[in-house]
Amino acid sequence: MNLTTTVLGKTYQLKSLKEVLAKANEEKSGDQLAGITAEDAKERMAAKLILSDLTLGDIRNHPLLPPDIDEVSRVIEDAVNDKIYNEIRGWSVAELREYLLRQETGNNEIRRISRGLTSEMVAAVTKLMSNLDLVQAAAKIEVQSHCNITIGQRGVLSGRAQPNHPTDNIQGMKASLFEALSYGIGDAVIGINPVIDSADSVKNILLATKEVMEKWSIPTQNCVLAHIKTQMKAIRQGAPADMVFQSLAGTEDGNKAFGIDVALLDEADELIRREGTGTGPNLWYFETGQGSELSAEAHHGIDQVTLEARCYGLARKYKPFIVNTVVGFIGPEYLYDSKQVIRAGLEDHFMGKIQQIPMGVDVCYTNHMKADQNDMDNLAVLLAAAGVNYIIGAPMADDCMLNYQSTSYHDIATLRETMRLRPAPEFEGWLNRMGIMENGRLTPLAGDPTVFM
Amino acid sequence: MDGSWITSAGIDIGTSTTKIIISRLKLVRASSALSLPRYEIAERQLLYASPIYQTPLKSWDEIDADRVWSIVSGELAKAGITKADLKSGAVIITGETATKANASSIVHLLSERSGDFVVATAGADLEGYLAGKGAGADRRSNQIRGAVANIDVGGGTANVAIFRRGKAIGTVTFHIGGRLIQLGERGNLLYISPSIRPWLNYRGYKLERGSSITFIDLKELCQQLCRSLLRYLSGNASSEQTYEAHTLLLGKPLNPLPDMEEWMVSGGIGKLMQDQAPVTLAETAIFQDIGPLLAHTLKECMNEYSLRWIEAEETVRATVIGAGMQSTEISGATVHLNAKLLPIRNLPVLKLDINEAMFHPPIELGHAVEETLRGSTSLFDSEASPPFALSVTGTFALNYVNLQQLAEQLHIRFIRYFPNSEVMVVICERDIAQALGQALQRRAGSGLQVICIDQIRVEHGDYIDLGEPISGMMIPVVVKTLAFSQRDGGMDS
Amino acid sequence: MIPSIELDQFVDRVMAELEKKLGSPDVSVTTESANSNAVTHSATDSGVVTIKVPQPRWEEGLAELIESTPARIGVWRTGTRPLTKEMLKFRCDHAAAIDSIYGEVNEKLLEQFGLFTVDTCYENTENYLRRPDMGRIITERGMDLIRESCKAKPQVQIVVSDGLSANAIDANLPDVYPSLLDSLTAYGLKVGTPFFVKGGRVAVMDHIGELLQPDVFVLLIGERPGLVSSKSMSAYLCYQPRKGTVESDRTVISNIHPGGTPPVEAGAYIGTLVHKMLEQKTSGIHLDL
Repeated sequence: MNLTTTVLGKTYQLKSLKEVLAKANEEKSGDQLAGITAEDAKERMAAKLILSDLTLGDIRNHPLLPPDIDEVSRVIEDAVNDKIYNEIRGWSVAELREYLLRQETGNNEIRRISRGLTSEMVAAVTKLMSNLDLVQAAAKIEVQSHCNITIGQRGVLSGRAQPNHPTDNIQGMKASLFEALSYGIGDAVIGINPVIDSADSVKNILLATKEVMEKWSIPTQNCVLAHIKTQMKAIRQGAPADMVFQSLAGTEDGNKAFGIDVALLDEADELIRREGTGTGPNLWYFETGQGSELSAEAHHGIDQVTLEARCYGLARKYKPFIVNTVVGFIGPEYLYDSKQVIRAGLEDHFMGKIQQIPMGVDVCYTNHMKADQNDMDNLAVLLAAAGVNYIIGAPMADDCMLNYQSTSYHDIATLRETMRLRPAPEFEGWLNRMGIMENGRLTPLAGDPTVFM
Repeated sequence: MDGSWITSAGIDIGTSTTKIIISRLKLVRASSALSLPRYEIAERQLLYASPIYQTPLKSWDEIDADRVWSIVSGELAKAGITKADLKSGAVIITGETATKANASSIVHLLSERSGDFVVATAGADLEGYLAGKGAGADRRSNQIRGAVANIDVGGGTANVAIFRRGKAIGTVTFHIGGRLIQLGERGNLLYISPSIRPWLNYRGYKLERGSSITFIDLKELCQQLCRSLLRYLSGNASSEQTYEAHTLLLGKPLNPLPDMEEWMVSGGIGKLMQDQAPVTLAETAIFQDIGPLLAHTLKECMNEYSLRWIEAEETVRATVIGAGMQSTEISGATVHLNAKLLPIRNLPVLKLDINEAMFHPPIELGHAVEETLRGSTSLFDSEASPPFALSVTGTFALNYVNLQQLAEQLHIRFIRYFPNSEVMVVICERDIAQALGQALQRRAGSGLQVICIDQIRVEHGDYIDLGEPISGMMIPVVVKTLAFSQRDGGMDS
Repeated sequence: MIPSIELDQFVDRVMAELEKKLGSPDVSVTTESANSNAVTHSATDSGVVTIKVPQPRWEEGLAELIESTPARIGVWRTGTRPLTKEMLKFRCDHAAAIDSIYGEVNEKLLEQFGLFTVDTCYENTENYLRRPDMGRIITERGMDLIRESCKAKPQVQIVVSDGLSANAIDANLPDVYPSLLDSLTAYGLKVGTPFFVKGGRVAVMDHIGELLQPDVFVLLIGERPGLVSSKSMSAYLCYQPRKGTVESDRTVISNIHPGGTPPVEAGAYIGTLVHKMLEQKTSGIHLDL
């Protein structure tokens, strides 16, 4: 494995694959905070050059976090199809990039080689791709999933209705949900983040969302984004959950900080298959986001793009219905400004899709980040072009419970009309029956939440 | 503290029947770990419902309190509940037996023999309200746009409670009931209640004890009686018909009459509506009264109006279920308490409404407090300790300076007008009780003990029971409201 | 139980009230004023709700929905985009949030409460945002000042910091701080010498804790501003915070502002928490509430 190169007259000798991957990253404040970033633009280029010549075999043979000490590495390693891997092990990372972008390479080809890739290889190629590369390559990949309905078809942009309330008031949640539905939002999931992490509270919210779904025969799925243990307790008490949710990290230690491990996820997986109300086969909702491992001091000196790729490697084991990166939620110490958030959003979406994850993105920012709503408009358009499965719908993009800004019901409706995208077919059929949508466009009735009272 | 249960009893002593229920209420934390603690009653479960007893009477209108007690203690034993288990609940004495003498004897009896658990109360408005809640009219009203009326018809009165979007918006009571006219199986009239006389006279019915009535005539009478009520409630009554309905009124009419979409019937008559319709005098008089016929006539007549009839969740036990399961509220969990002083029962409520303008400068606040407390000396017993619960209402957020000014004014004037009171009870609408309580206590020193709770809405004229503290943080509260129609905006249910 | 009113009197009163049935019912009149674009709607008691949806299926229902949540709903649209005023309102709220991050706490307020100021190693706001670790360390000069000015080993140490919102301190300190002091006094607790930390992060408690060794530490700090409120403050409490204290050892009361956790009540309750921590000699997840 050659770790030496010369850029503009200066020779760089890097010490490890870990260092190459970290320094080849586009600038991220999180890598700087971890103290693993390239010193300057030249060193960054040196790392990219070195990386471009490494082979996929080099990457697999030099694990950043050996499987015997990290269960996430084990999950990723166990999923590799060795026959396919052996066909491509001699490819350089540069060749992988070019293969992905070649006109002859389509969805089926990518789907096949993805079975021979590890998350680290995916992260590596991402570091060599421009933003438009990431858009184009991701746009080739179609990942459909089915819980109660199918989403992820080409030409479909779904929305998560996120009707959170600062005190978990059920009426208030319903009010925001009615607003979402009236804009045609909610085909990905009716997903609520509770303030109170108790089984009683989770159960009440699941019952309330299920009641609305049943009353209006809405073809979608519900989920409450409490800790997995709380959801399991609620489900065992009879709460109607179509899916289970959990936040993931890319290392075993990171997951420990979230209070989870693979054994617990396996247990939850069995529970939702046995006692969930969703049709399946896809019954999971995961959230991820660059920087969470560093914030839990569980990053093992690995850069945040690579760790993020590993989250998707772990998620894949559970055949999720939806996964989204909450890209700008974590704060400026990990993603400083809109440039970094936009980059991370495109990276995460691509890295998820290539690992066959039904990928959505929470296009978002907090108020201490150098970003504003215009930046979110930009990223949302880029992701819609890249074929993102869904984005988040919060009332006027303002989540009054989590205190951050995402995308709005209006934004999803606008992206659909502007980019010629549609809601999930079964959901669109329902919108038509409700008189909210006609020929893929909102009717004059849309935007009146009292349709659901 | 995680979720816990408290046990509550409801006892309904009516004109003809007495029943008891035991329920348990689940308290769960309703605020996040990062907020001030706040608990809610998340679930109300019925544990035990007694059989329906004939109300033991000494004479036709005097309740035999001792026999009531033996029913109550027997039922508590059957339910496996000891006095110490009961944290809350309500006794309600209803209908024509809600007389002063009866209320007095029951109140004395229960407070002497059953310790601290229950409270006695009476009043047609409260009865109607509790029956409406027990029958599920409040919950039903949340599902539709218009108002829902529950008509709870028993032996002596029809108590109507109207709910809109989950809130009680009015109550009204009529002298209509199954036992107002009592008769034998051949139509021989045994008893005609004086309370129905004005209406009988208005309609020109000349019924006398000892005379007889035919089935056809009785049915026609019941129809007229029902229509009089239903026309009024449906808003279709002419002025003459409204006058007619007023002859049946107990207390105030409903004004204005809300737009109603649905109605339901609870009480003994609600139950009888489910049975076979009587077609002869003998079938009518199985309880020696007009109940079965009145019930079926009511059912038939309700079809004549555009309001939707829906089935009540509870019929004969609606009131007792409302009393036992729906009457208890929980105070906020940041409060100022002195456990040794609790429980306190039957505390009348004095109301002080504050607004932001009063504090700039606080002279107006001083006037308002002065006026409220000085005025109260004639209303309340100045020797009682505490003489009342002061309800501080107003929707604006008090800052620290305002709060100190409020505490100062309340303290000065309370000790001036009630120098002998050893306890001061303050009930706040907003979440300020711990801060206000500590501000008052600091001023009061060790002489006067302050109890200050919040997140309870009470009105002037209400009575309130303060229970024993739960986990040292909060107390169960029973608000006994005498008149719902007086509230603007209705009452949270 | 102490005797409240005599039972006979009570019964008398109930019966009297029943007979006269308290005056005639007051009808609350719903006032509606209208102009060409919007109908204002008199709501129960939480103020006026403006109805923007032109012909809602159920106007009263819409008011009910809007009142049930602080979320921006019932906002209507032009095409698929928000109305101009609504969009600008959102931008105004964002502007307020940004300003509170880059703002400074009012010096007069610090003087009023007798708080002297020390800095963390944050250097400037940009760096503060990128390097949370530097906001956890007091400068050497600051440490000297604390050593000179503060009572060592106090029972309760109170520290105020701007954190991510200077506005939060300006808006809430005058309510929370005196209420907290009253509460501590009522519990008979002794407070050390309070001061202000500029550019602080939560774990600055640990650095100061090493030096002053308080039993309980109370940090009042500005929160990351949201759009609903840019003036939200948190209280972090910890029993004997020292280097290496883990986050789960801290007890937090957040969202303190007039529209959230009520400031005056929060101050009083924080006193109760301090009292419990001293009794149980622990804090955070180990504290039994």
